[in-house]
Amino acid sequence: MKLSTYNFLTSMAIKGVKVGFPLKLTIIKKDVVESEFNPTFVERILPKLDWTAVYGAAQVAELTEDIPAVQPENIGENEVLLQKLHHLLFEIDVLEGQLECPETGRVFPITDGIPNMLLNEDEV
Amino acid sequence: METPYTDHLTLEDYEQVYEPAEDSFLLLDALEKDLEYLEQLQPHLCLEMGSGSGVIITALAKKLASCSLCLATDINPKACDATRRTAARNGARLDSIRCNLTDALRRQSVDLLLFNPPYVVTSDEELHTQKFDSHSESSTERNLVFSWAGGQDGRRVTDILLKQLDDILSPRGVLYLLLLRENKPEDIITHLEGLKFRAVKFMERRIPGEHLYILKVTRSSSSSSTS
Repeated sequence: MKLSTYNFLTSMAIKGVKVGFPLKLTIIKKDVVESEFNPTFVERILPKLDWTAVYGAAQVAELTEDIPAVQPENIGENEVLLQKLHHLLFEIDVLEGQLECPETGRVFPITDGIPNMLLNEDEV
Repeated sequence: METPYTDHLTLEDYEQVYEPAEDSFLLLDALEKDLEYLEQLQPHLCLEMGSGSGVIITALAKKLASCSLCLATDINPKACDATRRTAARNGARLDSIRCNLTDALRRQSVDLLLFNPPYVVTSDEELHTQKFDSHSESSTERNLVFSWAGGQDGRRVTDILLKQLDDILSPRGVLYLLLLRENKPEDIITHLEGLKFRAVKFMERRIPGEHLYILKVTRSSSSSSTS
């Protein structure tokens, strides 16, 4: 699971959970998969992303030196930051770990890179 | 659009995961036919629900690599794994998530949604015996039945999607939905109009025993026009 995907996941489907976002991420095993840097793509995707969860991912991946806590303005003109975002969001692949609902503590395991977000019938 | 390699998938996989067939290829052909529209739309987030072997979302991820994030969901863990392997085999960038429909996704985030639902008309009993939970290892046979058994009118799962569609699609989002004549596509089009969506029969194909349709669905308020 890439950290860009992490930015879209929520536990909102659990009964009684209001926001369920951002999930608390734990990384046990990760891989770094190099991919082609396309600054335009990173810039275009940013409005879709929640910066709190981008920064949260950076904290877990220990990349807070690269990523500021508050989203700076005019990122498009900052190619160095775009490159660092590219690395954080598209090159780090979480193979083993877990996601935790911020409201209920329900844990969703990540196994072989696949988060298991499926809920049981009595949870929805 | 190139048809992805599937030579890594074995007969053993196809005992538990839907094998790409005419319906899958019609959905691929529809995307191919609408490529100019899609390239203009530049969908930031593409998602296929019930991705099965993963051939459709993999083909799309290859084609839209420069402008899109691609995700695939399935309730069947074997399908999630097959999708992940198909993406890897073809060098496509996409992530596989195990969940029901798009339950785990933030609201109104999907710009391009694909769904080849379990559309075969069956008794509801047949469908109700198919219950998944996240812990148990589901049996081989059940995994596969769930990929095609659609309950009454073959619409049980599709109707749930229609109810949730406003919560799933982004303001400029588009859905390509595969249907069978027995699913009553005209009914669905009318129903969607009531929900402020615009739906058109984008493609259709007769194959022995089945008449398949691709419905293209956009928000009726959406500024991007449907061809």
